[in-house]
Amino acid sequence: MNTAELLFAGVRWWLTIGAGVAAVFLTIGIDRIDEDARGAYVFRPLLLPGVMLIWPLVLWRWLRIETGAGDEQARYVPPRATHKTVAVLMAAGILAAVVLGLINRPQWPADFVPQQISGPGE
Amino acid sequence: MSVKYIPVQWNRFKWYYDAAMLAGVAAFLWLFIHIAPGLLSHERPINPQVHNARAFGACAFVMLSIILASGPLARLDRRFLPLVYNRRHFGVLTAFVAVTHAGYIIDWYFAFSKSNKYEALLFANTSYGQIAGFPFEIFGVFALICLLILATTSHDFWLKFLTAPVWKRLHYLIYAAYVSVVAHVSWGILQDQRNHTFTAIFLASAGVVAGLHLLAAFKESRDADPVADAHGDWVAVCRADEIEEGFAKIAQLGDGERVAVFKQDGLLSAISNACAHQNGPLGEGRVVACFVTCPWHGFQYDVRTGRSPAPFTEKIPTYNLTVKDGVVLVDPKANPPGTPVDPVNPEGV
Repeated sequence: MNTAELLFAGVRWWLTIGAGVAAVFLTIGIDRIDEDARGAYVFRPLLLPGVMLIWPLVLWRWLRIETGAGDEQARYVPPRATHKTVAVLMAAGILAAVVLGLINRPQWPADFVPQQISGPGE
Repeated sequence: MSVKYIPVQWNRFKWYYDAAMLAGVAAFLWLFIHIAPGLLSHERPINPQVHNARAFGACAFVMLSIILASGPLARLDRRFLPLVYNRRHFGVLTAFVAVTHAGYIIDWYFAFSKSNKYEALLFANTSYGQIAGFPFEIFGVFALICLLILATTSHDFWLKFLTAPVWKRLHYLIYAAYVSVVAHVSWGILQDQRNHTFTAIFLASAGVVAGLHLLAAFKESRDADPVADAHGDWVAVCRADEIEEGFAKIAQLGDGERVAVFKQDGLLSAISNACAHQNGPLGEGRVVACFVTCPWHGFQYDVRTGRSPAPFTEKIPTYNLTVKDGVVLVDPKANPPGTPVDPVNPEGV
């Protein structure tokens, strides 16, 4: 099995486990932890791909809510201070990507004339 | 705002927003494919599949640039707030456009691979140890995964379930996705670009996004809300006469928590500055008939109770407050969300 096959096997396992988590969460769990979801079924298929992608986060939050872990106040503390760090990192990343990409552009001879070195089919 | 979840919440403004967005995407693709081949260095013959792939790729980049520019623009000038209002629909459509770009690429370049075409995408170029000729495809794959995570976790359920701070941290992935898209373009199409019109448009877009975010971040640092001074077990927010009727003064309480003290009918009330929906800055909203409206998405709260008007169920913490010698003092220990607090007369009567 090459690296690419190994990666895709990992992706398939990730999504299969995610589908299992989604099946339980979207039929049983969601009704237990969110009163706005009770009696509302049409929107649930929209959540399926999200649960499949971030199922560890879903399990963590589900556990926190079920066990009544006290994060009610943390709900109202936005990560506003993080934006400055993220903005600086993004600007630096954009600059690095553009500069490194452009200075490594291949330079072709402007007056290069192609020559046929063998006949068709040879 | 909703009582029971529904698949997609639309209102008249969102219909207009989505209609304008779809029209913009259709116009961009039509222009790219039919009008601008010469301008974008497509004078050399390319087949329709590659042309479509480039059109959708360029469209996804422009859409991502607009999404990322709208946030800091709204922080710098409130007239851009309507752009932020329905940004999640914009993000979902961007993910669809990016998936279409990837579909055209994979179905053209890897369709006849002897192995699985998705695996072929990964091992077609494995020069990860060098800068020149680095496999730019991997940047696109990473950005696409980020966009899919963002699009599939955009429903309001996720905001309530994950909590707004966790949801926002997850959605910071858009910054990593954008850098990755810039690298994808720099190491990809720009390597073979002869006509520099596209290069100039690309560099200008990325520069504007980076510049706006830096400007907004430094403006936020410069104009930061004041930190409330400790007065025994209470903290001083401001002088009572500094608060305009219908508006608020905001103060930091430490650990990123902020309180907004409003004046309504001459009386003072204190609530959390963070909206329960996406933690929008409630203190920048205006009070009308006891209800403050969040400037980001229009959620409303009674400033005396921290509760949304029935039948909506959103709640935010309230704070006890008092006025001494004309100074507004707030108890930094927040009340549980939705706890009513009697408004306080700033004259102390």
